[in-house]
Amino acid sequence: MARIHGLVTASALALGAAIAPASAQEALHVAWYGGNWGDAFKACVADPFTKATGVTVVPEVGTSTVTLAKLQQQKDAPTIDVAWMDGGVSELADAAGVLEPITQAGVPNLANTVPQAVYKDDGGIYAVGTGYYSLGLTYNTQEIKEPPASWNDLWKPEYADAVTIPSPANSSGVPFLFFLHKIWNAPAGDFAPVFAKIKELKPALFFDSSGAASNAYQSGEAVIGAHFNVGAFDLIAKGLPIGFTVPKEGVWATDARLHLVKNAPRKELAQKFIDTALTPEASGCLAEKLFLGPSVKGVTVSAETARKLPWGEKGSVENLYLLNWAEVNAKRAELVDTWNREIARK
Amino acid sequence: MTAPRTTLALLLFAPLAFFAAFFVAPMVVVALSSITADDGALTAAHYARILLDQYHWDVLWVTFRIALLTTLICMLVGFPLAWYLVRIVRWRAWRRACVILIIVPLFTSNIVRSFGWMVLLGRTGLVNQGLMGLGLTERPIRFLGTETGILIGLVYILVPFVVLTVGNALAKIDTAYEEASADLGVGPARTFWFVTLPLTLPGAVSGAIMVFALAVSAYVTPALLSGGQITVFSMLIFQQYSSVFDFHYGAALSITLLVLTLVLVTVAGRIGEGRKPA
Repeated sequence: MARIHGLVTASALALGAAIAPASAQEALHVAWYGGNWGDAFKACVADPFTKATGVTVVPEVGTSTVTLAKLQQQKDAPTIDVAWMDGGVSELADAAGVLEPITQAGVPNLANTVPQAVYKDDGGIYAVGTGYYSLGLTYNTQEIKEPPASWNDLWKPEYADAVTIPSPANSSGVPFLFFLHKIWNAPAGDFAPVFAKIKELKPALFFDSSGAASNAYQSGEAVIGAHFNVGAFDLIAKGLPIGFTVPKEGVWATDARLHLVKNAPRKELAQKFIDTALTPEASGCLAEKLFLGPSVKGVTVSAETARKLPWGEKGSVENLYLLNWAEVNAKRAELVDTWNREIARK
Repeated sequence: MTAPRTTLALLLFAPLAFFAAFFVAPMVVVALSSITADDGALTAAHYARILLDQYHWDVLWVTFRIALLTTLICMLVGFPLAWYLVRIVRWRAWRRACVILIIVPLFTSNIVRSFGWMVLLGRTGLVNQGLMGLGLTERPIRFLGTETGILIGLVYILVPFVVLTVGNALAKIDTAYEEASADLGVGPARTFWFVTLPLTLPGAVSGAIMVFALAVSAYVTPALLSGGQITVFSMLIFQQYSSVFDFHYGAALSITLLVLTLVLVTVAGRIGEGRKPA
């Protein structure tokens, strides 16, 4: 018996010893996404930050929605200082009251940021964009020689059963409906024409995840459709016969934004971190690694990278269709429900 | 006498704490959020919205139909496979190799395996190439975005559970029973039907319940292989949590699926028990 008691005590002590140094050490906790996104955030922002301040960055990996859920759960005693979340979720986080205003005094580089990337509400600046990405027209260059000029090409009979667009389970699904609504000049607030047209589409699949879209283009299951510029150029970099184009109607785009967490335990450092992300070096680095359109003024990228940015070769942030997320979030549940009933069943 | 009791309590504490923290607590959170509104007031509105809407019953029917067919096919494929491994293979190393072959895919994530099926079952995939090469079909058959495609993916992923549970049950049967049956002049088919099959039933039922529960709740495989053109219940739940952010409605959907599945599994369990030899 004593032996078991001893064992338990010993393991409890060992456990305590293992946890203690981690909590004593000063480290900045930053929430970001997984995969190549997280790698790029680390290389472009966290590493320079650590080099300049000597403070290590502890990543809290999760998608935007997961991060928001975490912030809501730890509202009273947050452990995360800074959080990356996408457009759309950013507005929800603001509404949930988990964000602290970002100030010019705390983050001087705000002055270098394009005005579109500074998000304000009554309480001040709640988010700042660190780079745009878009959902453009992606196609198989072996099957389609000329870059398609319009989104309406997806309905051409020769592409029957080989088209893909996002489903509402994807973060771009509902925004894409708004985008179609706009390019087709549908009556305000009425999505019936949009659904009627999607019903006529002959899809290979409606993709849930960016990975599923990549897979479909890679296997030839889809020869034309929508895809994120980040995913499409990843495929192109692997040598696959894929093209990405910004058609005449433009593209829907959104951005990855940084947020200061309310009552962040290390506010000073958190502000410094956001400031680091808004330097031309960090912004240019994210453009090179993830093809994110820079939100910082005066960033120059190589010609090779310029081609892969969300607005296409010659565009700028002006060519992007950026949504009013308050409108999208208000109609989200209704559109998902209509999609389920009208489109996602045989 | 108190000492062993303390030991027992100590030993039980860890698993109980684990169970409470990672199973009971999240379940309570979900159940509570399914019966509350945004302001915290109690409401049955989410359940009314689900149960009074024919659409949800249609999706439930699709979900349970796919799960039942998956279970049936898994039994039809898994039982002979288990029989082959336990009764026919004489060479130990080969049997071991077969078991490893059956278990190894379980070490790979569902996502990767479902992506694999997307490639195999695609218009230009290996399956269609083979069928067209053999002259069985002229145009590629559409598997993705059909219930057939989802069934193929689920059966592939869940068959090992049947092989393992039925194989275990078969291995435990004393062959003396079958010999006795033969001695009494009964043919092999009737021996199988009246002696062997009833003895494997408990194993088969537990395998079937496992497969059914996993098929009903499967998300990744149906989501990928349906190509967004067929909806199963788990996809509705995921949507509410991931893109609509209505956690209350999402929770009510989860509890609905859980309760209905439990009811069906209990009924199946009763049937299995009823036939158990006394």
